[in-house]
This record gives sequence, C-alpha cells and structure tokens, in this order.
Amino acid sequence: MRIPRRYWRNLDWPLLLAVLALTTIGTIVIYSASHTQLIASGLSPWHFVNKQLLASGIGLVLLVIIISIDYRVWKRWVKVIYLSSFLLLTTVLLLGDAVFGSKRWVKLGPLSIQPSELAKIAIILVLARFFEKKEQAQELKYVLQAFFITIIPMGLILLQPDMGTATIFIGLFFTIWYVGDAKPKHLLISGITLVGVAAAGIFSSMKGWVKIIKPYQLSRLLVFLDPYADRNGAGWNIIQSMIAVGSGRFFGKGILNGTQSSLHFLPANHTDFVFSVIAEETGFFGSLVVLALYAFVIWRGLRIASLAKDTYGTLLATGATSIFFFHLIINVGMTLGIMPVTGLPLPFITAGGSTMLTSLIAIGIILNVGLRRIRIMF
Amino acid sequence: MRSLPSTLNQRRILTLLYIIIMVSFFFFFRLFYVQLWQNSFYQEKALKQRLQAIPLEGLRGSIYDRNGIPLATSISAHTVYAVPAEIVDAPSTAQTLASLLNLDVDFVYQRLKKRSAVEWLKKKVSDREAREIVSLNLPGIGVVPTSTRIYPNGSVAPQVLGFVGIDNQGLEGLELYYDSYLRGTKGQAVFERDAHGRSLEDGIRGYLPGEKGNDLVLTIDLFLQKMADEEVRRATLETGSRLGLIIMTDPKTGEILANSIYPSFELNEFVKYEPEKRKNIAVTDTYEPGSTFKAITAAIALNEGVASLRSGFFDPGYIRVSGWNVRCWNRGGHGSQSFAETMQNSCNPYYAKLALDLGDQRFYDGLTSFNLGFKTGIDFPGEIGGTLRKPSPQIPLVTWANIGFGQGLTVTPIQLIAGFGAIANEGIYSVPHYVKELVTKEGSYPPDIPEQRQIISTSAADTTAYVLRTAVSLGSGKHAEVEGYEVAGKTGTAQLVEHGRYSHSKMVTSFCGFAPKDDPQMAALLVLWEPQGAFYGGIIASPVYARLAEKALPYLNVKRGKVDRGTERQIKVPELTGLSLAQAEAVLKRNGFRVGTVGEGSRIIGQVPASGAMVDENTLVFIYTDVEYTTTTSEQPNPYGV
Repeated sequence: MRIPRRYWRNLDWPLLLAVLALTTIGTIVIYSASHTQLIASGLSPWHFVNKQLLASGIGLVLLVIIISIDYRVWKRWVKVIYLSSFLLLTTVLLLGDAVFGSKRWVKLGPLSIQPSELAKIAIILVLARFFEKKEQAQELKYVLQAFFITIIPMGLILLQPDMGTATIFIGLFFTIWYVGDAKPKHLLISGITLVGVAAAGIFSSMKGWVKIIKPYQLSRLLVFLDPYADRNGAGWNIIQSMIAVGSGRFFGKGILNGTQSSLHFLPANHTDFVFSVIAEETGFFGSLVVLALYAFVIWRGLRIASLAKDTYGTLLATGATSIFFFHLIINVGMTLGIMPVTGLPLPFITAGGSTMLTSLIAIGIILNVGLRRIRIMF
Repeated sequence: MRSLPSTLNQRRILTLLYIIIMVSFFFFFRLFYVQLWQNSFYQEKALKQRLQAIPLEGLRGSIYDRNGIPLATSISAHTVYAVPAEIVDAPSTAQTLASLLNLDVDFVYQRLKKRSAVEWLKKKVSDREAREIVSLNLPGIGVVPTSTRIYPNGSVAPQVLGFVGIDNQGLEGLELYYDSYLRGTKGQAVFERDAHGRSLEDGIRGYLPGEKGNDLVLTIDLFLQKMADEEVRRATLETGSRLGLIIMTDPKTGEILANSIYPSFELNEFVKYEPEKRKNIAVTDTYEPGSTFKAITAAIALNEGVASLRSGFFDPGYIRVSGWNVRCWNRGGHGSQSFAETMQNSCNPYYAKLALDLGDQRFYDGLTSFNLGFKTGIDFPGEIGGTLRKPSPQIPLVTWANIGFGQGLTVTPIQLIAGFGAIANEGIYSVPHYVKELVTKEGSYPPDIPEQRQIISTSAADTTAYVLRTAVSLGSGKHAEVEGYEVAGKTGTAQLVEHGRYSHSKMVTSFCGFAPKDDPQMAALLVLWEPQGAFYGGIIASPVYARLAEKALPYLNVKRGKVDRGTERQIKVPELTGLSLAQAEAVLKRNGFRVGTVGEGSRIIGQVPASGAMVDENTLVFIYTDVEYTTTTSEQPNPYGV
C-alpha cells in the first residue's frame, strides 16, 4: 500500500526517538542486571539482551505495519480482535505455563506469549470504538455495556492471577470513558462504587469471609505499608528494592557495579525491579532521565490524542498512552515502596517479549493517529 | 486556526496531563527523598547485609600460682566453620570432614545443609588437623583461630580453679568468679558476601584479632598445694574416709596457700565427674565443727572477761543446763582442771559453761564478729553461710551450751580456719581469699577484699594461742607436734548430721592449728569425713597436720626453734639452674640437702630457696624442671587470610 508523503512529515519522530532511547537504556540495564546470574547458571551473559533485541526488532516491524494501515480501517476488525483475545486468555488458563504460581504465558511454537498484554490493545480498540459515539459515553445503559465488555477479559486475567494487569483494565476503561465525554456525575458515582467494592473485597478477604484475593496477593498488597513486618518473606523484595534505590546517590554506583543486583539481593532485577537497578547504578540523575523520557512519551501521546482527526483517533491515542502511564506509576511506585508489589513490567525496559511487542504496538497506534491528523503543524 | 473534533475532549486530555504532571512531581520528590535524603541510611543497609562477621575470641587470661607458675593458660586452637551457601558437594565434603575431625557424617552433613550464613563444625581443633583442612581447600570450609585451656602443671586445686566451657566461658570456681577479668575481648573476621551467603573473592575483607584477657595470680602456692594434696590423699586413703580436705592459709593475710580435696578430679575431663564431686567443699559446704570450735568459744570468753588463765573447773562428767544433762565425751569426767587443761582435755561441760556465762546475746555477737555461720566474703562463687540463729526466747539455753563445744551449728571449713587465723594473728581477722593480684595490661592490682579488722583483743588472742599450744604439747593434739616448731591447735570429732539427725556411725574428724605459735606463718585445717575404724581427731587428724607442717614450714623458710635442734650448721644453697635433674640431685645430696622435684622435665629452671641463701642443714630444696607448656601472646597471627 502507498503512504502519502505528507504522512511521513507528520510522523512524530521525537516520540519514536524517545522510545528507542528507552529501549536502548533497557537493553543496557538488562545486561547489567542479569549477566552475573546468567554466567552463574551457565548461560550466555547476552541471553536476555538478545531476546530483548529480537523482540524490539519484531516490534518495530509490527509498528511499521500498523502505521501503514489507516486506523479507521481497524474498526471493522474490532469484534474479531476482541474475540481472539478472549480465546487466547481462555487458552492460557487451560494450557498456560505456571510461573511463580500464576499462568500468564502460552506457548506458540518457539514463542511464549502473554495474552494479557495483547488483551490490553484489544480492549483499547473496543472501548475507543464504543465511546466514539458521544451518546454512548453519556448514557448509563451503554456505559454498563462497555464495562461488561471490559470486565470479561479482566476477570480472565484475575483468574491467572495477575492483579496488576487486571487493574490496568479499570484504568483504561475510566480514561477512555472520561475523554470520550463521560458525565461527571456518572464518573463520580462509578468511581465511589468501584473504590467501595475494592475495599469490601480486600476487607472480607482479610477476614477470611471470601476468597477473592489469594493469600500471597493479600500479603503483597499490604506488606508495602510495613515491609519489615515480614522482612524475609513478602517484605524482602520491597526492602531490597528500597536499599538499591536508596544507596544509589546522585550519580549511582555505575553500570555493572550495583551490589544489590549483582550480588542477587534484589530479586527479579531484570524484570519487575529493573527500575531499582537503574536507580542504584545510575542514581538520582539516571532515574530522572528515565522518568523524563517516559513523561515525554506520554506528553507526545496525549498531544497526538488532542490533535487527532476524529474522536476515535483521540480515544485510541489516549488509551494507548495511558497504558504507559499506568505501568509507570504501578511499577516505579512499587520499586519506591509506595505501591503494592505486582508483577507489572516497565515498558521498553523490563526484559520480556510480549511487553515489548505490546508497547511498540501501542506506540504504533499513537503514531498512526498522529500520521493521519489534520494538516496543521504545532 | 484549528478546528478540532471536540474542544471538550481536548480539555479533558489537558486535565489528564495535569494529573500526570502531579504524579511526576510526587515521584520526583519520592526519588529525591529516598535517593538523596535517606541515602546514608540505605547505603549502610546495603553494606551491612553484604558483610558477614565471624567472631574471633581473644585468648583467655592465665591463672598463676603465687610464684608465677602457670596453673591454667590458653593456647591457640582452631575452629572449623562452614559457609553452607558455598559448599559445592555436601555429601563428599561431609565425608571428608567427618573422618578428618572424627565427627559423625550425618551431623556434618546436616550442618552443611543448613540455611544459615555460618555454621560451626568443630571447636578446639589441633594445629595438625587445622593445617590439613586448610590444605584441602574445600569450598565453603574455613578455619579461624580460637583458644583452648590447658593446665601445664596438671589438675592443680581443680575445685578452686574451676573450668571453662566450649566457648571459653568460666563455668565454675575462680574461672567463673573472675570470668569478666579473664575473658578476652572479642575480635572478628569480616568478609563480603552475596545474597546467598557466598563470599566474594575480591570483596571487602577485615580481620580484627581478639585481645587477650587479664591474668590472675593466686594466693595458692603450687608446692604447698602439692604437699597438701599428698597428705590429704594419704590421710583419706589410710583412714578409709569418704572425703578429705586440707586448707592451708597465711593467718596474717588470709591468703589461702593450699586448698586440697580428695578425691579430686581432672580439669581436662571435668564433664566425666558429677557436679557433686567437683565442689569446693571448703566454701560451698558446711559441717559441724565439733571440738575445734572450743578455741573460738575460749577466745570470745577471754575477750569478754568471762574466763582467764586462772579460771578453773571441776568436771563431774556432765553439766546440767535447764534440766538437761550435757555430757562430757569422757563419761567419768575430767575432775579438777585449770583453764588450759580444759582445752587439753577437750572438756565439753566447761565450754558449755563458758557459753552460758557469756549469755546468748554476747556469745552470738562474738560468733558474728568471727563471721562464723556467715559468709566470709571470699572471692569464690557459691559461698554459703551456715546455721547460726539469732538469740531468741524460742532457742533454749541448751542449744547455746552445745554450740559452746561445737555442736548444733554448722560452718564452712573456710569460716573456721579464718577464725583460727584471727586467733593466731593477735585478734586481727583477715577475709580469706584465693587471688593475690589481678594482672592487666595497665598493671597489676590487688582484688577487692574487705580490710582486716581487730575482732578480739590481742591479749585474748595470745592467751587462746597459748592454750591451743598446750593442747598440742600436752593435750589431745600431741600427734600434731613437729620437732623444732611450736604448733598450736585443736582436734575435733563430731557425729555427721544426716537428714537432720546425728549419725551413730558416721563421724567427721578434724584438726585445726597454726605454727609457729608466736609468729604464725601457716594455719591449716584438716577435715576427714566418715573415717573407718579409729575416728578421734587426736589419733588420725593430728599426725596429718604434723606431716604437712614438717614439709611446709621449712618450705616457708620458718627456722626451727633452737630448743629442739640445738646448734645447727648453716650452709649455703648452691646455684642449680641450668643443671640436669640428675646433676642437681647429686649436688644437693652431696651438700646435705633434701631434694624435692617439681615437674617432669629434665633440666632445672628454678629453685626454692634461691641460691646463696643460708639455711639449716637437711633443708628441703625444691627444684623446678622445665615442664613443657606453650606460652601465648595476645597478638595472634592470622594464618588463614580471613
């Protein structure tokens, strides 16, 4: 297919460059965090780096494919995409490989993919399509319908169980609904209801009345309030992460010199707690650079959302951008001891193929909306 | 210039942006707080959890006799430890170590499998074993220096010295009482480790050796102790007694020169003996003193003016006390006696009368000033008092009458000899003690001992001493007589109190005395529990004192009186140091000395008296041979690089 020349002019190069910078940083940090453990277990120190580079390569190809198809064309495929993500989520529950007690991955030949990641993209497409019509965003009947559509994949993800990703679905729902002209009164009521339901769920699980939340989730959920209550158990990760971040100082201990990660005090240091490694090895300065790059990506994403040609584009870009926002606060908040421990990755940086693919697909969606905006410059 | 799809959408996106900016600020401040504000807190935590410390003991201080001869000292030994996380092949490592260290394979294997940072495998490992283990270079197995207690002169006064446990902590006796002085300061070996406990090859390493503890110099004299050991052993065996005790003191200072108990035990194998057999009965047990106690009653009565040398007494064989007949051991009675003769005859009714004449309160006060029935304050753990009750209407007079001749109260042997010491030393009471000096790096100082105090008048003490002298020269203690020395003392025989009743067959027999009477250099108490056959103190206890004094007094350089020895040729002690044992013995014999050998070596390293001293012919000269022991210093080398 042919892409008109003006589209290339409209491509948000700064956004793409920020994403590439984050990916580069991620690759370096993954090497730093994982090489000693890999050598110790007899693998190549480049094991995770290679995987990550492969995933980014595939992701970039997908990104190019995505921006070359007009996002408006996707509307036709929304139902199919939603259904296939539903099928994948069901498959993972039935056939998935359990890692650390939860079933998140499903093997497709040599690839092992995480359907919950792809489901995030699917739900953005569905919700954008749904709230594109203003009356649907404003009438409670339709809103409940949209909520129902959201809660099905979310429930399947909760069953894995993966609290972090499930929480993101709620965030995506509210963000897209809000930008899609939700009535403030509806927002307020549903917000209060949601908080009430969550509080009731946690409280009754604590009391042991119902078993909505598993014991390990509950202890993770509460232990961040006082990690030293269980310093060798659930509190260990938080304590080690805080020590890593706190001992970083202004410029950090230097890449490859982080004692917390290289001496294995910090668990999951190339995945969930990768930000702790950044903070330890590059210090306050490095942490701020990374956070600034994310802020830049989010700002560019929201900017494209506000410049989009139509509401559908606006909602797509908003949804895709808010994925990064939610991942950022939950993941970094966890490493800084202000959020519960959930296995939520840090986009572009955490080692993991599915996350990388989803993140680049989301960037592709944002860029696509940006490409096909009306022709005005800044 | 722009026509946007919806201004509302745009405003809401702007709101989202504001929220994101707010969250960003929050993260910024959180990062600032954790990374910069609390940095040193976390920096320290990071370091702390990477550092693993292995405690190193400082050598325990030594214990010397009063002449500086080591009785207990510590030498370097080794402790083998494991870092479980670094063990590569636990089964084979366990196998190797178990056979090398003579341990149970299962025990070692369990330790290697533990999820702890450091596990001790065996303490007090010899040099040879330690070197072998180091040379094997097993991953995760290391050796650190520790110390072990050795006794260069054997098990000397083990009940007094006490012993130490596996961690060199004092468990009993002086080792316990002075534990905080003897104990070394702990040092540590530090290494950097990862989260699994494996040490890092190029990590931080530190080594701070422990410091040696302080030394003790005892009042005990190794040679006098050996003499007492010999005599108490012989007496106990010859009389078939269950238990024997000799305490020897310097009555002028309260220093305990010897403290010998038979049967004894081996310090190196203390665990094999029941606690009951390891007790220092001189301090931690009481007994009924019997007639030896008459010396105390006499001293109090003389001091209070209730009796004098001119006092006399007619003994019909008993005395009536508030309706009771208090009988003399001699049923026929001793008839008419002078004051001194009552002591020579050991006449019970007279001492009952003295107690009554004093009255309960005055008698009680006198006993209290002698500390009899009370703790003396000796520097020994677990001292007990005794049974002396305050006067009250509930205590009948007959009880006090009985106490007058040593029945119906219990005291510890140390209390009695301390009381005799006051009589010997012109009425000045010295608190008995075992330690002469505490030696620290800064210098040595005497232990904290209560001051001497005058408890009875000098004349009362001297008169009592005179009476006690006649009890030996003319009375029941005549077997305690030593040629050339004026021995003063008193025998005693009492029925053993078992379960609150007097036993008909079991006796406790004793002799307590001092010499020479006018310038006492040595006081001694011999107690034999449950002798078989003859049990009177005069017959079986007095000769033991004589044999002991015969050796101890010359050793203490006490000149024999002229009366007994006539004109004695004074000869010079030759220099013996450096000679072989055979040579030294030959030299001494040729010159008319008697020879006492100490130690098992073959070369002479010292002598008592010193060379050049003018002494009587036939004086006993002690020669010290080079007993092998290792001296240790506080600077322990670090042979392992930990």
